[in-house]
Amino acid sequence: MKALIKFSLIAMGIILVSCEDPISVDLNDAPPRLVVEASLDWEKGTSGNNQTIKLTTSTPYFDTEIINDVLGASVRVTNTNTQQVFIFQDQNNGLYTTSSFVPRRNDPYRLEIQYNGETYTATETLTPVTEILEVSQSLEGGFDDELLDVSIFFQDPDEEGNYYLMRFIEEGDQFPVLETESDEFSNGNLIDEFFEKDGDAGTQEEEFQVGDTVTISLYGISEQYFNYIDLLIEQYDSGGDPFATTPARIRGNCINTSNPDNYAHGYFRVTEVDVVSYTFE
Amino acid sequence: MKNILIAFILLASSQAFAQSKYSIRGTVEDKKNGETVIGATVYLEGTNIGAMTNEYGFFSLTAPEGTYQLVISYLGYAETRTEVILNSNQTLNFEISESRTALEEVVITAEESERINIREPQMGVTKLKAETIKQMPAVLGEVDLIKSIQMLPGVTQNGEGSAGFNVRGGAADQNLVLLDEAIIYNTSHFFGFFSVFNPDAIKDIKLYKGDMPSKFGGRVSSVLDVRQKDGNSKNFGMTGGIGVISSRLTAEGPLFSKKGSFLVAGRSSYAHLFTPAIEEVKDDKISFYDLNLKANYEINDNNRVYLSGYFGRDIFNISNFIENNYGNFSGNLRWNHVFNDKLFSNLSLIYSKYDYQVVLDFVKLDWIADIQNQHLKYDFGYYASDKLKLDFGVSGIYYRLNPGEVRPTSDDSPINYLKLDQKRALETGAYISAEHKLTDKLTARYGLRYSAFSRMGGQNIANYVDGRPVVYNENLGIYEEGEIVDETFYEKSESIKNFGNLEPRLGLAYQLNNNASVKASYTRSAQYLHLLSNTSSVTPLDVWTPSGPYADPQLSNQYSVGYYRKFNDNTFSLEVEAYYKNVENRIDYVDGSDLIGTNTIETEILSGEARAYGLEVLLRKNKGKFTGWLAYTLSKSEQRTPGGDAGGPGINDGKWYNTPFDRTHDFSLTGSYKLSDKWTFSTNLVFQTGRPVTYPNGQYEYEDLSIASYSLRNEDRLPAYHRLDLSAIYRPNSKKDRRWQGEWVFGIYNVYNRRNAATISFNQNTETGQNESTRLSIFGIIPSITYNFKF
Repeated sequence: MKALIKFSLIAMGIILVSCEDPISVDLNDAPPRLVVEASLDWEKGTSGNNQTIKLTTSTPYFDTEIINDVLGASVRVTNTNTQQVFIFQDQNNGLYTTSSFVPRRNDPYRLEIQYNGETYTATETLTPVTEILEVSQSLEGGFDDELLDVSIFFQDPDEEGNYYLMRFIEEGDQFPVLETESDEFSNGNLIDEFFEKDGDAGTQEEEFQVGDTVTISLYGISEQYFNYIDLLIEQYDSGGDPFATTPARIRGNCINTSNPDNYAHGYFRVTEVDVVSYTFE
Repeated sequence: MKNILIAFILLASSQAFAQSKYSIRGTVEDKKNGETVIGATVYLEGTNIGAMTNEYGFFSLTAPEGTYQLVISYLGYAETRTEVILNSNQTLNFEISESRTALEEVVITAEESERINIREPQMGVTKLKAETIKQMPAVLGEVDLIKSIQMLPGVTQNGEGSAGFNVRGGAADQNLVLLDEAIIYNTSHFFGFFSVFNPDAIKDIKLYKGDMPSKFGGRVSSVLDVRQKDGNSKNFGMTGGIGVISSRLTAEGPLFSKKGSFLVAGRSSYAHLFTPAIEEVKDDKISFYDLNLKANYEINDNNRVYLSGYFGRDIFNISNFIENNYGNFSGNLRWNHVFNDKLFSNLSLIYSKYDYQVVLDFVKLDWIADIQNQHLKYDFGYYASDKLKLDFGVSGIYYRLNPGEVRPTSDDSPINYLKLDQKRALETGAYISAEHKLTDKLTARYGLRYSAFSRMGGQNIANYVDGRPVVYNENLGIYEEGEIVDETFYEKSESIKNFGNLEPRLGLAYQLNNNASVKASYTRSAQYLHLLSNTSSVTPLDVWTPSGPYADPQLSNQYSVGYYRKFNDNTFSLEVEAYYKNVENRIDYVDGSDLIGTNTIETEILSGEARAYGLEVLLRKNKGKFTGWLAYTLSKSEQRTPGGDAGGPGINDGKWYNTPFDRTHDFSLTGSYKLSDKWTFSTNLVFQTGRPVTYPNGQYEYEDLSIASYSLRNEDRLPAYHRLDLSAIYRPNSKKDRRWQGEWVFGIYNVYNRRNAATISFNQNTETGQNESTRLSIFGIIPSITYNFKF
């Protein structure tokens, strides 16, 4: 919601704006940090046993040839209710996997990573999610009445404080589109979220055509992760808009207990997710 | 307070009744249109006795019995001399005329009242007349008061297309902007591309950059005092202009058999300007308009009433999809009353309101918010003797702030109705100030203002665990919202929190000789309303927040010294000022704060301090075919926001960081050359250090996206800002007596097409996956043409 209000300003900003061009900028390079992409997502209707954690390091901003997979770390996750421990195996490509993870709604989990002689930890609770009730396409739902858009509908529960992450990706696309939602303005209501491609230059390819397939994931997320990912998406998307929030450091939940200043980027999230696939007709 | 007042009056009386003296009082008006003249010098030749006309053209002088030559001088106007036999108190009203000699005629257009006053202790003040502003080149030919004052030393902008202005390293919300005494909360149209002041309705502006007279309070950085014209009391006339962006039409004339006058001015943009015949944006509407009203009636020599109003609005409608409109509304009723030859008074009843609305059709949401105030003030000027003038008065402002109301726009809207708490506050002030000629060379101005602020009830106030609305999370190294224990409801009649501050103001001027002086001043001021913004540019959605249990008032101390000098019979003047100021309780938002739609804004902010210092040089050429000025400022503006009660190191690890308004160098040149009666050429040249910004210092992959990691706040800078503008004014018929007078204004903004970066953004190209930096520049080279007329 707030993102949309901000978006409205961005849209107006863009209309007023006259000129954008590439410019080269000399940046300072921060020393590399560990990047933790520990997203334990339990898809509805599956066992959730197979999970992957990805470890990399940060690089200078404009670097293109990136060799930053983290090898040789030890990674494990503990359900701190049941004390069940899940060891993630090093696949020697930056990925650490397990096939025995047991997801339990609302249970707390703890991540522990040993890397370079330092210990990183994070805790998170598995946040359940309501199901996607309906997926539909239309012309009117999105920003442009002449372009196809797809909407999902879901029922926000009665109690306040539900947070959502949505991930839209079209088959063949390299990059997903992420959006967040909270029930701050719409608690207990039927919520709809649309996804439309505007086909503008600079963004990935064309608007939706009949036959295109989109995968849409609706994640239930914790408030703290919402604060994190909402900011991350906003900073990622704020392309040159003078009304955008001033960018700032974003801190995830992975703490370096050996050397607190050397914290890790990324996040340890544990979510339930509902995934649907839709083909335009 | 009371004792001080008595002391002042005793002092005044002892001066006043020491010898047998008489007073002359009256008003000074422009012969051509009856407009009262602000800031004309009225003096008795061969003496040190003189006065300046006030905002209503009133003056009063006191001198020993005798015969004098009374001289009225106002640059650009012929000097008026009258023999006065002073053997009783008398009322004399004067009319002055513009100089008629062909050469001088244009000369005036520029820097008349802007000439420095060597003797007055007032520092850091700049006056500009509407004529000066109109002559400066402007983007798209839209004459813009706010952009004009940015050509002065110590005044900068936060990039093209940003609202407001910054004075001596202060934020935009630290400026008190008054239009005929009414507070204007947002000075911009089109999100800052243009300003709300219609140049045809404006008579005079004064910008106080720090050494604020005691009658002003409520802001810590500056006061911009804008006065509307009263309207022509001699003849009916119309002025207007047709420009690229907007057109203007003003009507003015006498009322009540020339006992009064009126002025009505309207200005409106062309709706389709930014949405040309491009298919994609054909349904978009973007426009603004203004309406200025003024009327006055002279009941008799001692009483005059004024009514003035302003109404302005911006409307955006993008394909009926997003709608946004906002604007200011103000009205003011004033009563000038002269009690006797020495005591002038003005009573004002003022209302102002700023509101905005956002309608998002696609989410079926309607968002409205506003801030409004009623303001009653009573100001007195007591011309006690030839050596002492007293100003005193009281004021009370009642504020109501509606930070937001969210409504669903249809039955099937997913939005729930929400109204954020309305906030109320009462700000009161009382002041007394003396301008005192201590010796022939030394003049002092000393005053004291007491301001009080009551945050009124009628709302819930959240109570937090340990009283901490913001808490540092040691583990994650971030600031988080504090936990609410419960809420306390305060009745409307209760006050939630009270503040009071004494604000001494002091100024000294020492005249070295007829052409040079040195001055020093100290100003303390308090600010009880804060504008919170975490965006690069001020947006209409930014939230005004009153001081209260979790936000203390901002308090500033400013010290300045200056040297002033005239050369060659005032052909040139030089002003050099140095200042240092600090602001306590300057709030800043924590990293990742969310300011929209929150009832508990205290959970997003920390309180810190700000400081700024600088050196300003202003060299003017006041006379001749070429007039103009050169301004240079060297300055520093920074702030520090420790964690305080919230714990932790604070914003930016508790280190000093540049404010977004820090500009190391700021250079501007404004010039005007009168070639002939028909042609006048003007130019602006601006160079400014780039704005402090925050750049990435690395990237990492998350959710398949390349995410930038950022360095400390405001550690980097945009490239320097510079541009050159030119304009030419062509007046086809130079005959003064012809009724219809027209002029063409041709302008080129940003002549060498410098692409000044408004922002530089860092993004991943979603086709190639590469990270890129993109410069967004707003105005490239822009030609314009405007036709102005008068009849």
